[in-house]
Parts: sequence; C-alpha cells; structure tokens
Amino acid sequence: MVNTDFDQHGALNIEIARKAFSSSKGSLLALKDILLTINSGEFVCIVGGSGCGKTTLLRIIAGLETDYEGAVFLDGKKLTGTGLDRGVVFQEHRLLSWLTVHDNVGFGLAGLVSEDRSRDIRHYISLVGLPQFENEYPHQLSGGMSQRVAIARALAGRPEVLLLDEPFASLDALTRMRMQQEILRIWQAERTTVVLVTHDIEEAVYLADRVVILSPRPGTIMNILPVDLPRPRDRADREFVRMRKSIHDELLGSGSENDLAPEPVSDNF
Amino acid sequence: MSTAEHNRRLEWKDAIAELTTKPPDDIRRIYIPDRLLGWIIPVGALLVWELFARLGMLPPNWLPAPTVVGKTIYQLAVSGDLLKHAGITIARVAVGFLLGASAGTLLGGLTGYLTVARKLVDPTLQALRSVPSIAWVPLFLLWLGIQETSKIALISVGAFFPVYLNLSVAMRHVDPKLLEVGKLYRLSSFQMVRRLILPAVLPEYIVGLRTGLGLAWMFVVAAELLGASSGIGYLMIDGEMTGRAAVILASVILFAIFGKVTDWGMNAIGRRLLGHRAR
Repeated sequence: MVNTDFDQHGALNIEIARKAFSSSKGSLLALKDILLTINSGEFVCIVGGSGCGKTTLLRIIAGLETDYEGAVFLDGKKLTGTGLDRGVVFQEHRLLSWLTVHDNVGFGLAGLVSEDRSRDIRHYISLVGLPQFENEYPHQLSGGMSQRVAIARALAGRPEVLLLDEPFASLDALTRMRMQQEILRIWQAERTTVVLVTHDIEEAVYLADRVVILSPRPGTIMNILPVDLPRPRDRADREFVRMRKSIHDELLGSGSENDLAPEPVSDNF
Repeated sequence: MSTAEHNRRLEWKDAIAELTTKPPDDIRRIYIPDRLLGWIIPVGALLVWELFARLGMLPPNWLPAPTVVGKTIYQLAVSGDLLKHAGITIARVAVGFLLGASAGTLLGGLTGYLTVARKLVDPTLQALRSVPSIAWVPLFLLWLGIQETSKIALISVGAFFPVYLNLSVAMRHVDPKLLEVGKLYRLSSFQMVRRLILPAVLPEYIVGLRTGLGLAWMFVVAAELLGASSGIGYLMIDGEMTGRAAVILASVILFAIFGKVTDWGMNAIGRRLLGHRAR
C-alpha cells in the first residue's frame, strides 16, 4: 500500500474509442474518441451539460463501466475493473446507514491489519474535519458532513486517483463553496490525482488545473483549458470571470441552452 | 406585544371560551398521562363486566365475571394443567415457527438473490399462498395423521410466507447504488451478501419474522381446535364441550398473553440487532 515513488503515481491515459448504451429503443452513443492524459497529482475538472457522458467517462475510469471500446491506463497499467487504487465519491454520499462514520470510512479496508487500519481511518476522518463524529451514524449528519465522510471513505484505501462525480451538486450554495475549499485542501495534503465531474463551470474554474469541456451526444472532448490562476482563486477576479465566460460560451455554442440547466438532484439518500 | 394588548387578548380569549361549549375545557382539567389513556377503556369494560356479572345480569355459564376467569386460570396453574397444555402449545409454536421461518429465510434469500430462482419458484409459492391456509388442514391430517406432525406442518406454513415474502422482496430492492459501493471495493459475492445485502434487509426481515410468529400463534389455535388432545386450543374445545365458558375465556386470555410476550421478545431481539436504527 505504501507508495515510495510519489511523483510517478496516479497518471491516467484515457483512450476511449466509443461507449454506447443499448436499450430496447436502440443504441445511444454516449462517448466517442475520448483521448485524455491526466498527469500525476493533477486536478482535472470535466464539465459539460446533462447527457454529455461526463458521468459515464468517470464511471469508466472507476471501473464501474467495463463494456466499451478502448482502454484506460493507470501508470501505464491497463485497468480491468474497480480497485482500491481509485477512490470514488458520488453525487449522493452512499454511506451505509447501519455503520458508524468510522466503519463507513473503513468499509473497503476489511483485509488490512487492524492497527494500521484504525490509524488510517482516524487520519482520514480528521483530514475531512470530522474527528468528533467518528462514532456517529449517517442519519445524524448533515448533507455536507455526509459528503465529507464519503470523501474520507474514498481516500481511506490510499488511492492514486480520486474520482468525484458531481460531489457537491446536492449541497446548498454555501456548503458547496466550503466543500470546494476543503477538497483543494485535501488534494494539497494528499497529493493524489483528482478527476472531478461537474456541470458547474465556476466550480471547475475554481478547482481545476485543467478544465476538460465535453460536448454532448455523443460525448467528445471539445476543448481542454489550462487554468493558470494562483490558488486560492478569487471568484470575482477578472481573469477568473473571463475564463468562466469563455467556457460558458463554448458550451452554449455547442447545444441548446437547456443543456446547461442544473441537472435534477438525485432524491436518493 | 404591550402588556395592555396582552391583557386585552386574554380577555378576548376568555370571552370566547365562555361563549363556546364547556366540555373541552372541563376535560382538559383532568390530567391523564398519555400512556395511561389506552387503559381507560379495557379497565372500565372489565369493571362494568364484573359489576354486571355480580348483579346477576349476565348468565354465569355464558359470560362469567373476570374474577371467575382469573380464578379458573389460577386453578389450571395449581393443578398443573396450565403447564402441561401451555407447554405443549408453546412447543408446537416454537418448532413450527422455527421450521417455517427457516424455510422462509432459505427460499426468500435464494429468490431474493438469484433472479433465476425467483422466476422458477416464486409463481408457485404465490399460487400456494393464495390458498387459505386452514384449507390445508384436511390434507395435512390425511397425509401426516392427527399427531404432532400435521399441526407443526400447518404452523410452519403460516410462519413461512411472511418471512419468505419480506426477505425476498427486500433483497430484490436493495439499493443498487449501495451495491456499487461494494463493487468499488471488489467485495466477493459472499461479502456482498454478508456486508451489504443482509444488513440492508434486516429491518424488513425482522418485520417478516414478527408477522410469521403472529401467524404461527394463529395457526396453532386452528390446529388445536381441529383435533388435539392437549394444548390451550384443546382446553378451549374442552370448555365448549363441557359448557365452561370460564375455561374458554381463560384460554383466550392465555393465547393473548403468550402471543404478546413472544412478539415483545421478538421485537426486543430485533431492536437489539438493528441497534441505533430501531426507533
């Protein structure tokens, strides 16, 4: 589990020729010709409207979708399924209601030596700022706290890549901004590669080293923009606003305005 | 709000209270804790019943006084009959419930986990379920004789269906989003069942067990009424044959007590298993 060679870990090579979903109504092409290299320790945001396949892309990297043409390589090794080397946070926290915060965070570490395990779990619970909630149950936590626990769970396996699928979309605006700062802090502390999917352009510009813009139906990479602003970023900064607007215009130019409407928040959890 | 205004409001409120009918006001003055509220009707009914019986307004061979019923239970206990009959009834329920609930757990788990098992087994079981269970009695008697086997078979049938149905449906409806979490951590099928599916379906499973236990009690009455030489159900028939209403009522009360106590026990086990999730 211990990575001695920090700089070489967490580099992704994504080469997806096509990914289609077939249903009774026919086949829907979700992704086409996705070629993307993500560097070790990089923070990449993938933005696009609903139905652009951004979640599908993340699920392929996570190993939850395996039926596609192409391959994804992590540090040069072809991925064949899910694994502890990638931590995933979903839009819903997906915590297990019958386990405490501590046991939820340690859910994936069942095979490890208990002493290390307990220490690791505590470390990540503290990292997300909830040390005093270790023995609470999910129903006792707020939405933002639950999502922090989900992040701790994703990190507990010491992944090389952290994959986040609209992790803050169901939180209120204030909590969302706080969580954006938190995820930057955690990323800087852990130095993992982060891939975050969002439909919130401001969120992408605030967080990312590079923003990948996806166009819908089929999902293809429209543009990749490096964000060279120093952190912490000022959302009112002129360059920040200009960047946000250019991504906005690029996305709107590609489809109808509806594509940028907020996606319906899942009612689960 | 100024004091003057406050006073005016109070006056106004009082005036209204005087205009409206009095009773609600009066009832509020008698303070009764909420948990005692439910006792008023049964205790009142018992008192009225006792009173009417003592006044000779109820024929004793038709509806004996509660104290007479109580005395009957006491006599049954002293003579050792209570232990004998209650013991055999409880044993029948225990064995029948264990068999039925085990079969329900096994088949419910199998059909809940494997779609092919559900498609294979569920239609048949659903068809059998639509047979009113008492209708099996003649067949069970013919096949299994009038001894214990037929009674236990009937009780098992009663306990089986709620356990089977609740477990099977609950397993099928485990949130796939949670299962995906298991997939992320590469859980084996066995771990998936043990660490995700079973904890997730536990509340519904416990409801199934409680319902099954309730039905087991219902069916032991049926089984014992329809042919037994021992058990509380037999006491009932015996009381009917010999015209002793007190014995019948005593048996009814005993069934109620046993049913309640076992349900309470099952509930306590359930709460323990569910831990913090129990309300």
